[in-house]
Amino acid sequence: MKRDLERIEVPGEHEARARSWSVVLTAFAEREATPQRRSWKPAVAVALAAAAITGLLSPPGRAVLDGIREAVGVDKAQPALFSLPTSGRMLITSDAGAWIVDPDGSKRLLGDYREASWSPFANFVVATRRNELVALEPDGDVRWSLARPEVRFPRWGGTRADTRIVYRSRNELRVVAGDGKDDRRLARRASPVAAAWRPGPAHVLTYARKDGFVRVVDAERGTVLARNEARDVVRLDWVADRRLRVSTTAAALFDDSGQDVLRSDGRFSGAALSPRAQQLALVSTRGGTSIVELVSRTGTTRQLFSGRGRFEEPAWSPDGRWVAIGWPEADQLVFIRVAGRQQIRAISNVSSQFRSRSFPTISGWCCAP
Amino acid sequence: MAAGRDERAAVRAAQRGSASGIEALFRLHWQRAHRAAYLVVHDAAAAEDIAQEAFLAAVRNLDRFDRRRPFGPWLHRIVVNRAVDWTRARQLRGEAELVDAEAPEQTAPLDESLFGALAALPPEHRAVIVLRHLLEYTPGEISELLGLPRGTVNSRLRRGLDSLKETV
Repeated sequence: MKRDLERIEVPGEHEARARSWSVVLTAFAEREATPQRRSWKPAVAVALAAAAITGLLSPPGRAVLDGIREAVGVDKAQPALFSLPTSGRMLITSDAGAWIVDPDGSKRLLGDYREASWSPFANFVVATRRNELVALEPDGDVRWSLARPEVRFPRWGGTRADTRIVYRSRNELRVVAGDGKDDRRLARRASPVAAAWRPGPAHVLTYARKDGFVRVVDAERGTVLARNEARDVVRLDWVADRRLRVSTTAAALFDDSGQDVLRSDGRFSGAALSPRAQQLALVSTRGGTSIVELVSRTGTTRQLFSGRGRFEEPAWSPDGRWVAIGWPEADQLVFIRVAGRQQIRAISNVSSQFRSRSFPTISGWCCAP
Repeated sequence: MAAGRDERAAVRAAQRGSASGIEALFRLHWQRAHRAAYLVVHDAAAAEDIAQEAFLAAVRNLDRFDRRRPFGPWLHRIVVNRAVDWTRARQLRGEAELVDAEAPEQTAPLDESLFGALAALPPEHRAVIVLRHLLEYTPGEISELLGLPRGTVNSRLRRGLDSLKETV
């Protein structure tokens, strides 16, 4: 086969080679090598000395340092998403549709979809159009699709061998098997918030209802396992043995028994649990400034980054070392390294890179297949 | 192994700004990249553009390229993905624009039959056949290269080869 493929004549190969070489050589000659990075140590030493002298490490001073960090993030922004800071692939949704971004920065437009979400092991993507739920290969090939009215908030859960997709169609919460079969209604009066699967084989999920309750249900049997009052829920998540519920007034973590193990009061616009549920990234906005905070399992809070305007939902890297946030006002994606020495990488011109008039949304950052 | 050393040396030289480094990379990879693109898109001009664009992407990202990784798979992934995208886009344009298309290029009989059979496959199947049988990647490597599940790669290979066998 190889010999046969090599024997196929490619018309004009030699001329094409000569033309391409000329273009490549010209581009190579014109390219500007990346300037050597200046050492950050002298700058940090000066900053720390100044901080020590003026007492900036006191609480009011901390705000000043955050301001400096904010400026650094903007100043050092790369003009394009040349690469992701660590492994895993990102799913981004823009006006143009759903995109997959590989670690080397290469992007692929999957198609004209409004929302998208990874399958549990990132082998597939589930996406929505207005009246259609679509399961896709990561190269955009449609595996199957299901026509349903006003489809939103798809989430894919389960094991490698047996998966389910939960989604909202009008006010109904519906579940379909990973092969597109056995689509059925699980509940009426579901809130417009994405449901969250408990990881693993049990097909258990949590969802918010319009009557002001959050339920945990067995999606196979349709039985209600737990029921808690919770108004104005904006986000639900379930990672490892921790279930996250974020409302407009508080973020709360629950363990397997339903016990409230962590609670943080405040008006949060976004939240995400780290891959092993060891840490919680919280986004809030006060007085026109947004803050990303990191909360440990013990409740210790550390401010990671702040900036003027609104931050979007945070997303964790699959290795749990980075948090990504969208910053629409700056048209930037900001990657914050939370493990080891803190580091900030910002990417500018995000909307145009994803052919979008509105700011694109990070829909997931998941494991390589 | 020697080819791998040559390639790493070429990447290192190119990163230092040596034109001989980029020339060595071009010599090592252009022809296969161009052929791979042609076998997926079945259009000589598009294949030239795709191979050229892949090399230009390599030049643009040279400073960020990790020298410990092989250059070939990185280039081939760009080539094959762009070739599939181009073919899909052309299919979407429909028949209207093909009325004035030039007559197909003349090729040798064997080439023509295999070439024609390849053309009958969906572009995604062509891509895995080319990666497996021209560029000699294993199904596992193709799975990594294209970011596809291993089962999908295997089924595309199997279905693609079955179709080729029927036609050729």
